[in-house]
Amino acid sequence: MTSSARPNASPWRYRSLIWNFAQRDLKSRFKGTALGWAWSLMLPLATLLTYSLVFSVIFRLQPPDFGNGRAGFFPVWLWAGLIPWTFFLITVSVAMPTLLASGPMLQKVYFPSYAPILGGVTAILVQSAIELALLGAVLILFGSIGPTWLLLPLWAVFFVTFVAALSVSLAIMNVYYRDLAHLVNVALQLLFYLTPIIYQISLVPESWHGIPLQTIVRLNPLALFVDTLRALAYDLKVPDIWTWLGMVAWTACAIGLAILVYRSHGLDIGESI
Amino acid sequence: MTDFAIRAEKLSKRFWLHTERRTGLKERFIRGKAPKAKEFWALREASFEIQRGTTFGLMGQNGSGKSTTLKVLAGIYRPTSGLVEVNGRVSALLELGAGFHAELTGRENIRLNGAILGLSRRQIDSSMDRIIDFAGLGDFIDSPVKIYSSGMYVRLGFAIAVSLDPEILMVDEIIAVGDEEFQRKCFDYLFELRKRGSTIVLVSHSLGLIRDLCDQAAWLEHGQIRELGTARTVVDAYLADVNDREVRAHEVDHAAEQKEVVENRPVEHDSTAVPAADAPSATPQRPGSGEIRVTRIEYVDREGATTSVLVTGEPCTIRMYYSASHEIPSAVFGIEFFNEAGVNVAGPNSGRVGTWPVRPGDGYVDFAVDELLLQPASYRVSTAIVDRGHTFDLADREYELRVRGRGDEEPGLTRMPGIWKPPVPTQPVVSSTTLDGR
Repeated sequence: MTSSARPNASPWRYRSLIWNFAQRDLKSRFKGTALGWAWSLMLPLATLLTYSLVFSVIFRLQPPDFGNGRAGFFPVWLWAGLIPWTFFLITVSVAMPTLLASGPMLQKVYFPSYAPILGGVTAILVQSAIELALLGAVLILFGSIGPTWLLLPLWAVFFVTFVAALSVSLAIMNVYYRDLAHLVNVALQLLFYLTPIIYQISLVPESWHGIPLQTIVRLNPLALFVDTLRALAYDLKVPDIWTWLGMVAWTACAIGLAILVYRSHGLDIGESI
Repeated sequence: MTDFAIRAEKLSKRFWLHTERRTGLKERFIRGKAPKAKEFWALREASFEIQRGTTFGLMGQNGSGKSTTLKVLAGIYRPTSGLVEVNGRVSALLELGAGFHAELTGRENIRLNGAILGLSRRQIDSSMDRIIDFAGLGDFIDSPVKIYSSGMYVRLGFAIAVSLDPEILMVDEIIAVGDEEFQRKCFDYLFELRKRGSTIVLVSHSLGLIRDLCDQAAWLEHGQIRELGTARTVVDAYLADVNDREVRAHEVDHAAEQKEVVENRPVEHDSTAVPAADAPSATPQRPGSGEIRVTRIEYVDREGATTSVLVTGEPCTIRMYYSASHEIPSAVFGIEFFNEAGVNVAGPNSGRVGTWPVRPGDGYVDFAVDELLLQPASYRVSTAIVDRGHTFDLADREYELRVRGRGDEEPGLTRMPGIWKPPVPTQPVVSSTTLDGR
């Protein structure tokens, strides 16, 4: 068998390398800290507490009821929105500088540039999965569990693929346009408030000074993913077919973009850093 | 069934030399695209084939495109044009420990590096003990690599790269690291890998290493292949070219020399004359009491002309210039030659013929050789002036000697002079039938 200098570049073939990068990220993140893994839950917990305090105690926002008809509990409802958002936020911010940090390695040995990025995504995914499992446990305590949970894995596949593909695109482009990291930081700030995490989408006015605000929020892919998780896990409702088609479309777009960016910019990272 | 491990066809690699990189979006918007970058061809239309199980050397001066070639072969760079076909699993050793993560332990880094080299978990686990053993790190293997000494770091890197049974191993000048014992181990391992039938591509400045280890070699110059063939012919062609160039440079310099008044500072002066044989001046850091020091050495060929390259099998003279500040009642002069593997190949000294008194001032001592036994390669040369256990001066491997061949080389560290004689029958056989009777 003869091949070119670079082996076939399908991510599946590199799963062992991606997993190794993930392990590297997981092991090195909390090495040398006394609390170790506990820290990975500390940050989301702090965010959850702060937001709960500010928005349910001070602003008195009313959460929707649980899917089983029980009166809603704001922190739980908020948590269901924060988990996907945090996953997205951390993944993107960790992925952006990944290739620049792997520079010396990419110049000395060949491996596809997406491998360390996907490794990073996997490492964060492990953390988010733990958070999601904890949320599930809390929901069970409130008695809110239903067959809609069975659709959660499907949702996760779309969401994780979407975030991973977007991270690959951003990380590769960041090597060529270093401003991108700063631009993305600003965008993430805006995106947080454009996504119905601390508020319900129904609270957004249809039109504000002629701007179709609610439509804008609905077009935001993250709103789609966050809302779907809440619907499935908290409201115990199955979103309509358009929501699913929307998620499929966004995921496909992200994959398309990632392939395009990887083919045009991702193959020569070793000499561009 | 193909019998080549690597085939390169009209391989070219172009780089853009940006006078100023514009990676900022603002700069792109405000000042437009970056100004026309200058193109630079690091490699141009190189074609060669490396047979399976052979060792291939890439040589040439700095910037000749050796490392670029290796990176293209290893898949780190994509060729601008041309074709590379690789037949087998490649392990590239462009820098030892390039893929290490400081916070991870040695063992964890072995896993990570193995995965980068494309091995499965099972393959890595089965090689783990061998790697740990080869690297010789002992208990350190379970400590983070950030606490490793640079030597330990390098040893682990080499151990990983070679222990994972590469089908094709690409090595870039990494042999010159680690302590002497580890270097020896590296060499042994490369030789053993070669014996086992691995294909090795080696980039090196070391002509001796290329001559000893490689079957075929390519000499690159300005990104083009200047000479391609058996390692021996390529090394000889390279040495002949270096010699020509240095002779020319020497002639130019010699002309300049004559315009100068008196040659009273030979060391500084000579450092421009013969770059190969000059010393970095008789430094006071040298070991020895210093009443007498060697200031430089010179090589004189059979015609009596100074040269920087000597020829195997021909007569020559090695001339040691000294400068004595005191009256030296008795002194012994010595020279030692080390090959690139660090082996002391020869060490003639004048103690065999007695000791000499030396008057204060400058002068020289000749060591005349009827037939140079050193094989074509590059050697480090030490000089010493001693007297029964007392060292006046020791220039440890300060000088360099290049030796080229005449095309009649034999294997080994040195030639062995001698005369072959035709077979002499001691018990002549009467007829062929008696063979069975005995």
